[in-house]
Amino acid sequence: MIVARDLGARLGSFQLQGVTFKVPSGSYGVVIGPAGSGKTTLLETVAGIVPASGGALQLDGRDARALPPEARRVGLVYQHGYLFPHLSVQENVAYGAADPAAVDEVVRRFELAALRHRDVVSLSGGERQLVAIARALAMRPSILLLDEPFSALDPGRRMRTRREVRAIHREWKLTALQVTHDFTEAGLLGDVAILLDKGRVLQSGPPEEVFRRPASPYIAEFLGAENVLAGTARVLEDLAPDWIDAPPSEFRDGHHAIEFTSGGLTIYTVGLPPAGATSYAVIRAEEVVVSRTPQASSARNLFRGTVREVAILGAYARVTLETGGGPLVAALTARSVHELGLAEGVEAYATFKAMAVHLC
Amino acid sequence: MGGRRLPAISTIVAALAASLLLLFLVAPIGELVWRGSADGVARLGSDAELRSALALTGLTATLATLLGVATGIPLAYLLARRRFRGRAVLSALLDLPLVIPHPVAGIALLLVLGRDSAVGRGLLVAGLRVVGTPIGIVCAMLFVSAPLFVSGAREAFARVDVRYEAVARTLGDNGWRVFRRITLPLAGRGLLASAVIMWARAVSEFGAIVILTYNPKTVSVLSYDRFTTYGLGEAIPVAAVLVLIAMVPLALLRALRGEREMHAGGME
Repeated sequence: MIVARDLGARLGSFQLQGVTFKVPSGSYGVVIGPAGSGKTTLLETVAGIVPASGGALQLDGRDARALPPEARRVGLVYQHGYLFPHLSVQENVAYGAADPAAVDEVVRRFELAALRHRDVVSLSGGERQLVAIARALAMRPSILLLDEPFSALDPGRRMRTRREVRAIHREWKLTALQVTHDFTEAGLLGDVAILLDKGRVLQSGPPEEVFRRPASPYIAEFLGAENVLAGTARVLEDLAPDWIDAPPSEFRDGHHAIEFTSGGLTIYTVGLPPAGATSYAVIRAEEVVVSRTPQASSARNLFRGTVREVAILGAYARVTLETGGGPLVAALTARSVHELGLAEGVEAYATFKAMAVHLC
Repeated sequence: MGGRRLPAISTIVAALAASLLLLFLVAPIGELVWRGSADGVARLGSDAELRSALALTGLTATLATLLGVATGIPLAYLLARRRFRGRAVLSALLDLPLVIPHPVAGIALLLVLGRDSAVGRGLLVAGLRVVGTPIGIVCAMLFVSAPLFVSGAREAFARVDVRYEAVARTLGDNGWRVFRRITLPLAGRGLLASAVIMWARAVSEFGAIVILTYNPKTVSVLSYDRFTTYGLGEAIPVAAVLVLIAMVPLALLRALRGEREMHAGGME
């Protein structure tokens, strides 16, 4: 378990400030944030490499601030591996291992047998990352800290390695904290997502919650939400309107039906009334359904528009629809774009449910 | 038209200036080796004083280097890795022996280690006489050459990325074990090169040694002695031997650098 409470650390002119989060025992935490936000410094502070300047840090219930790095039972994997260049692959993996069987196991699981006697300076970037992961695991840590550990692996190897790390994490009951820039990876691996910016935690919680319910428009945009609209919200009087497209149980206390106006768009949603006069509506592109004719569905928000841009990204596509009130971006499969005959200038409809709109 | 462009005047002037400097540096040494090395090497068989000066120089320079390495490594590591008040002052102090004239260094050492000083008297009581003994030679060599080692070793430590050490700490090593298992081997080549430079500098020292210990003579003092007593003809073979000795560490350094260049690019 990793518990940070108001944790601070200083590294040159950079500061971690008031960092508070919890990764429960046996859970997998992911740290996301823009470059220079302090992600690596956070891992180094948890590992004890960068001394904490304030706050509390508990690792498996122990006060970690009183422990030197070697007593924390933390495995640390840097993005660039930092394999010891004067040692072979085998010597690197076995460096901190007390049990030779653990070395053999990680060598087998990460398919490193053929590299065992190689000089580490001759390895590729991806191979170095694998050896670094194996080295950290061979010492049988109770906490695993990973700084973009799969970034140099080719897609196939990345998938296999990710799966293996997750499997070992479960089998060995490790607590993990991984820095990643890859939101898919964050969603796939993480039980807890921690969003860091300028040395502070902006939001933390289950990845689903952080991605779907960003705490600010900045977070929404950082997390890749395409439709972040500034506007004003008005609480509607009916507390449980007939157009609500969620089970009544989800209509929690304090939530209201809300009419949100942004430019010429009027959007209906359900949630807590925003505090300020100006608020933001966030709609992820994958929540927006595009059709050539109005859809007969329960979705409350329906807009007619003209396709302004179709961007094909491999198997997926981003379609920008110019409605009378402003643009809306939808995510579709490339096949759907083809089947619907979507192209620039074509008339189409965008539909999304009230529950797909998040106000912040 | 169509021919190669002539080099610019500035290039010609620069090449000429560089050639003149090179000639100025190499010609005297070349002349000395050309005229004296065969005779110098031949005299090693017959000239007992030269043989003994050579042995004394090698031994004292090696002792000074060992002392410099043993005491300089912690200092160099401290300067490379820790930020503390007075670090800049300490660095400047370490450069001082490099910038003062070496006879002045000898005089300063004489003040501190001579029989009229408290330290000198204390050492005499302990049975250690510095002035006029090989100990004085070692002290003079250490004084003028140790700063070179510390400076080189500091750079060698600074080049070792602290993240190697960080990883080793998380893998269970305490600070000392990290130093022994990671830092020292990774800085090893730089440390060795610095030690070679220190040794070479110690071998070639004259100014400070001649103040502290004229006798027994090192090769540098012997060459001066032969020059003042017998003239240039007798000094040349001894001086040539000194040049040949100085070439050994130069060759060693070249070999070390060559190896490092071979490994460059493979290091993370």
